[in-house]
Amino acid sequence: MSTAEQNRRLEWKDATAGSTPKPPDNLRRIYLLDRLLGWIIPLSVVLVWELLARLGILPPNWLPAPTVVGKTIYQLAVAGDLLKHAGTTIARVAIGFLLGASAGTLFGAITGYLPVARKLLDPTLQALRSVPSIAWVPLFLLWLGIDETSKIALISVGAFFPVYLNLSVAMRHVDPKLLEVGKLYRLSSFQMVRRLILPAALPEYIVGLRSGLGLAWMFVVAAELLGASSGIGYLMVDGEMTGRAAIILASVILFAVFGKASDWMMNAAGRRLLGHRAR
Amino acid sequence: MVNNGFDQRGTVNIEIVRKAFSGSKGTLLALKDILLTINPGEFVCIVGGSGCGKTTLLRIIAGLETEYKGSVFLGVRQLIGTGLDRGVVFQEHRLLSWLTVHDNVGFGLAGLPPQERSRDIRHYIRLVGLDKFEYEYPHQLSGGMSQRVAIARALAGRPEVLLLDEPFASLDALTRMRMQQEILRIWEAERTTVVLVTHDIEEAVYLADRVLIMSPQPGTIRNILPVRLSRPRDRTDQEFVRVRKSIHDELFGSGGEAYLASENVPDNS
Repeated sequence: MSTAEQNRRLEWKDATAGSTPKPPDNLRRIYLLDRLLGWIIPLSVVLVWELLARLGILPPNWLPAPTVVGKTIYQLAVAGDLLKHAGTTIARVAIGFLLGASAGTLFGAITGYLPVARKLLDPTLQALRSVPSIAWVPLFLLWLGIDETSKIALISVGAFFPVYLNLSVAMRHVDPKLLEVGKLYRLSSFQMVRRLILPAALPEYIVGLRSGLGLAWMFVVAAELLGASSGIGYLMVDGEMTGRAAIILASVILFAVFGKASDWMMNAAGRRLLGHRAR
Repeated sequence: MVNNGFDQRGTVNIEIVRKAFSGSKGTLLALKDILLTINPGEFVCIVGGSGCGKTTLLRIIAGLETEYKGSVFLGVRQLIGTGLDRGVVFQEHRLLSWLTVHDNVGFGLAGLPPQERSRDIRHYIRLVGLDKFEYEYPHQLSGGMSQRVAIARALAGRPEVLLLDEPFASLDALTRMRMQQEILRIWEAERTTVVLVTHDIEEAVYLADRVLIMSPQPGTIRNILPVRLSRPRDRTDQEFVRVRKSIHDELFGSGGEAYLASENVPDNS
């Protein structure tokens, strides 16, 4: 964006201090064009890829054409497999994320508020956090078997740490000057937490939730690759075993689409909760 | 109609024998032998250089500093800790970014019945001239506007004493002058007792009934100057300039350099 456009944008912002109007049309067109630019490379890549596949330059069983991958997904949908496998994976992510994020919230709040709790628990949790995520998989499979429990447990572990860390740190780092305002009004400890500390920590907490969700997706891939009989990861392994590249690619795309969709929803929810605050 | 209860306001009696801070560099004696009476409805300014203890003194009156040797009385009641009888405005607005102007002003009024609470909030928002911005968020306000919300918040609890710690220091010069006029207007409307800490001598002479001049190490009240000019005051008036010069000379005049703190002084923020 040119300096002139940047200045125009800033002037508009200054001029409208105290109100929240929509940007004028010429600025809205600039925002749209900015976003369209981002699509140029992906679309070009897809076109070139399709072309190379059609020309036979790309071996079909190594990197099938986008249209072939698309057809594969369509066939899965028609056969009801898409719903079954995607549904299973999404359910695992949802349950695992809920459990892990809840635990992360609980521990984050306790260590965030009570210094004693932090000194007791944080070192241990930090040590556990330094275990590389994938290394948990064989351990959980051994302890909890190959059924749902181990997978959900793995996903929970993934979701736990970002949520715990972000909430704990955010609560500890609330501006002491704001806490003094609470002192002026003689707020009880409970009121301090509810009216000052938690709202102040909310933005970072939501960042933690988004991270946790991202890791939950990563862990579900790992869990399904290493021992599953359903789910998108299972599809991927199945495709690999039977030498069907199109199924592997389709699975990758499905992971990306659902992962991105869930992140988008979380982000939208976050923006609604935080919308009034300054950027 | 808001009842200010002026006739019930108490005199502030301050006696601080000793207030010290202990830190990594040893003990710093911030205040020593402060003996001060502030009359109900009076506008008092405290001036001094950095480290003279003026902010510490204000914080003791506010109840934010509780470890000192001495006592502070409001009327017949000894002040221990903070309370709604004193409103505080800091140099930073310290508004809560997730609350509207309305909810920020009403932050300390949670115990009131909703109708009364809304009525009080609206009264003070109107008093500081921000009625059009009642439901805006702090990030949509300018610096001067945010400080006015902070003043409204401090007044909403109907305090007997309004304490301000360099409230206009972070505003630009023009806004600062406007805010000085504003605070006088508000004071004349509410007739709270006001104690305003500033490092700006002109501001003190413009606003105060009495100016307390403090000197550091240890912090003591060096002198108290009454300002008997009628308001609104003219900054270029001969008498105004004379008063200002005498305060200036107290702080910087012959031997006055000794009354500015050396570098080894903690930051009061």
